Amino acid sequence: MALKRKIAYINLSTGEIDIKPIPVDIRKKFIGGRGLDAYLLYNHSKKGCDPLGPDNPLIVSGGFLTATCASATARTHIMAKSPLTGLLGSANMGGFFAPEMAWAGFHHLVIKGKAKNPVYIYLHNGEIEIRDAKNIWGKTTTDSQWAIRDELNDQEVKSMVCGPAGENLVRIANVMTGIKNAGGRSGMGCVMGSKNLKAVAARGTMDINIAYPMDALEYNKRFIDQITSAKVNKTQGTLGTPFIWGATNSWGGIRTRNFQYNQCEYADDIEPERIDEICEETMGPYHMSGCFGCQVHCRAQYKIPSGPYKGVYDEGPEYTSQGAFGGEPDCKSAETILVGNHLVDQYGIDNLEAGSLISWAMELYEEGIITNKDTDGLALEFGNDEALLEMVKRIAFREGKVGNALADGGIAASKIFGKNSFDFLIQVKGMSNLHSDERATPALALNIATASRGSDHLRSRPAIDLYHLPVDVLRKIYSNPIPYDGPLSSEHTEYIGKAWQVFWQENCYMAVDCLGICKYHTTFLGATLPNFEDWTKVLYYNTGLEYTPEEIWDVAERCNMLERLFNLREGLTRDDLEKGDMLNHRYFDEPCKRGAPDVIGKFIDKKKFKKMIDEFYEHKGLDKDGVPKPETLKNLGLANEPSKMI
Amino acid sequence: MAIDVSKQSGAESLRKTRTYGKFRCHNPSCMGRLEPKPGDKLVKCPVCKSEFRVAWIRPDFPRIRGPVWDVNKKLAQEAVAKREGK
Repeated sequence: MALKRKIAYINLSTGEIDIKPIPVDIRKKFIGGRGLDAYLLYNHSKKGCDPLGPDNPLIVSGGFLTATCASATARTHIMAKSPLTGLLGSANMGGFFAPEMAWAGFHHLVIKGKAKNPVYIYLHNGEIEIRDAKNIWGKTTTDSQWAIRDELNDQEVKSMVCGPAGENLVRIANVMTGIKNAGGRSGMGCVMGSKNLKAVAARGTMDINIAYPMDALEYNKRFIDQITSAKVNKTQGTLGTPFIWGATNSWGGIRTRNFQYNQCEYADDIEPERIDEICEETMGPYHMSGCFGCQVHCRAQYKIPSGPYKGVYDEGPEYTSQGAFGGEPDCKSAETILVGNHLVDQYGIDNLEAGSLISWAMELYEEGIITNKDTDGLALEFGNDEALLEMVKRIAFREGKVGNALADGGIAASKIFGKNSFDFLIQVKGMSNLHSDERATPALALNIATASRGSDHLRSRPAIDLYHLPVDVLRKIYSNPIPYDGPLSSEHTEYIGKAWQVFWQENCYMAVDCLGICKYHTTFLGATLPNFEDWTKVLYYNTGLEYTPEEIWDVAERCNMLERLFNLREGLTRDDLEKGDMLNHRYFDEPCKRGAPDVIGKFIDKKKFKKMIDEFYEHKGLDKDGVPKPETLKNLGLANEPSKMI
Repeated sequence: MAIDVSKQSGAESLRKTRTYGKFRCHNPSCMGRLEPKPGDKLVKCPVCKSEFRVAWIRPDFPRIRGPVWDVNKKLAQEAVAKREGK
């Protein structure tokens, strides 16, 4: 049993706990992390199960490499059927929780049932306790973590918690660990709340059993050099992820005013450099910090500089908070971004979803579909910073008609708001889009349309497509480890070869999620960052298991197919606007109005888009409806799923 | 396992293509290489005339902070008008 980490099945209804080893053949087939979680979800849930019912398993994991001598293995993954989308729910966060869980002896938890009263789970050195959480219920995410530490009398305990939003069954509630690390997407905090599960806490000092520790450390020096030498990571270490928003806004790839514009003009006060200045003014020159074992240090620390929250400490903001509380609602104040970021962190709400849904509601207000009567007199206008922040609170506590409606997500809210409100909702599979605008970038449009957990940039985004890399460089990346001699194009406004790039990235991101490594350490924003070839060495030195690059690719493809199987079982159909691989009509019908000369006027050509989907399905071994062909399942070793091996 | 640690991976081998001191014009049809002088706060694309504000990560490592709004907006409007035959 490589690394000797275990899987625990915890039933909150009965209090039963079953701890089992993870066999090597399971590691070879699924590696761990998100990939093995997909297997567990598909095998431990029934078709049509209620996402908020006791039968929906909540699965928590670290990657196979978590807490080893490899860099940046901080990621915690959480998976369940999503209460937001009714399809696959999946969220991933950095911080320090997953390594602590691994030191406590566990890589995977499968949590079923529902506790009668609020509880939290405590993992420590191979033992598991289900403890009373009545004194923690109702607290914000940070206070909950500090309260658990005090109760256990151990300041080294790391916890993942849901906030008030999760307790209130807000379907966009996230899971938090530390001050700002958020497993934001698809409502995993809501699933915790539905189980009366306030937190999972971990504390461990168990040996991680590295296979070849000296070789692992030696090789990791090279890995670190690869990671820290990348220009993109030097930029991240200075400006954090907001640099992406700034660069993208520069040419017109940002959503503003819901989807009316693709650039936030004259946004100097919310550019990353301005936010960095505030961080430096309030926290000093060394205000960047990092997650466990990471050398990039992309996490800014700040205090809110002015206003009612003056002096309050938080971390971030990430790109998503910058979009959510800046660009998208057209609020051009850094302070509003920092306050909004703080509120979602404390209430436990997905910042991306909150900002997108509020901006959608602002457009509905502008269109007269929502009125003052619905908002209790709140002027829900673009650029109204106070209304924006007030809506965050209303969503978290389900206050008012609009707050309560948005708490159930966009599709459910559109049925309450009525008229043509759904036409304005920028989502895929029920999940809001990132604050980027993909009308000028077909590859990115294909990525969000086909991502397994709904519109998402972290499932298969070929971000390096924006760098205008020469075709020979693209080929070096995208024909390894699986040969590809089809077309590729340096033009990010093109449709040629993009389906393969998205397919390749989908497997790359699944692999990195199986390993538990941060995506800033792979071929996401930088072409020179590690991928399949590099991971074979890291895996071998740390776990003793041999994988070829091709085998890692196969694992990733298999796990992605399992996610597809889950979605198909729960109702995914190709062109369904609510549950399919399809974009809102505005991508096809409304050209970009702002940005660089050649971005203005751009929109997604529906015919070419559908052809890209066909190509993407072909690469994946799916038929025209997006269903896997029998031979595909056989080749991937999935013909007998659910196989219930563990 | 026979690991050849001396062998560079594909990703590692791409490091030789990295350049410092330059960035690409943000106009997709241009994407020309721009090379501001050390400390410059503005740079103009010699090809498409777009102008950008420059931020410096390190003294040898510039990045685009954002467009010079009025200049690039005017250029975009002119380009669109020309495209539409106005």
